[in-house]
Amino acid sequence: MGFMADSEGVGVVPAGGTAVEERPLDLTVPQTPWMTIVWDDPVNLMSYVTHVFMTYFGYPKNKAHKLMMQVHTEGKACVSSGTREEMERDVTAMQEYGLWATLDKADEL
Amino acid sequence: MKKFSRRRGVITTELSSYEVELLASLINQLIELVSDGQPDRYVAGTQPEEAFDELVRELTEQVDQPEEPQDPVLKRLFPNAYPDDASASSDFRRFTERSLREKKISEATIVLQRLAETEQGAHPLRIPPAEAEAWLRTLTSIRLAVATRLGITDAEAADALNDLPDEDPRAFMVSVYDWLGFAEETLINAL
Repeated sequence: MGFMADSEGVGVVPAGGTAVEERPLDLTVPQTPWMTIVWDDPVNLMSYVTHVFMTYFGYPKNKAHKLMMQVHTEGKACVSSGTREEMERDVTAMQEYGLWATLDKADEL
Repeated sequence: MKKFSRRRGVITTELSSYEVELLASLINQLIELVSDGQPDRYVAGTQPEEAFDELVRELTEQVDQPEEPQDPVLKRLFPNAYPDDASASSDFRRFTERSLREKKISEATIVLQRLAETEQGAHPLRIPPAEAEAWLRTLTSIRLAVATRLGITDAEAADALNDLPDEDPRAFMVSVYDWLGFAEETLINAL
């Protein structure tokens, strides 16, 4: 399971003539959704966190503000969900902005 | 400094020569820290020969499993993406940390250029809107660095610093931290 986990193993054709007896497991099992979690920190300004959610995710001001307040009062909030690859992209972007972000499987919050 | 304001599409304020010098010094320290003291190594679009040297270096220094940085500021700037999975965090680091560092350095360089254009505060600072995010991210990185050095790990620690006596050696850094917060807040409001 690496950074590119979601794109590996999909659509790969065996090079030789050997038939594949069983499909790889991850082609038949639905993908577990992942999520990006932003954690509260004492440094980032509330206005900045709201700005980041609006600018990067394109969330309307209300939703961005609500998520920021959730981070602030509950200590963390799930700010986006999707495939693991998409969430790694979102976490990277949040880290670029200096927010403390991690990713996790959606059933583990 | 005055609040940032927006005039004819450009975000602007006036800084004293001291403020320009202070901010530039903090940004240079950030570049130094984020580049492990070697800013040339983190210029995006490195020349092919240098890229080859870089590859050799990476192969010989065993960056296959990059670890969490030791420095508390770097730890905060590049946190583990998978808190409960060291191996996945290391993989994530391998694919993202270098470009994250490059981006922080290139944006910090943009900020330094705009500061230099003020000629030590003789002219107003002018930020084109396209560079606003680079400014916000750079100010944030500096605030995170200063806060980490001040031990601001939670709201209580932050509050405790407000009551420091003037003679406390940390009082100066606290005033710098507050000034950076003012700059960032008013920049956001000016957007």
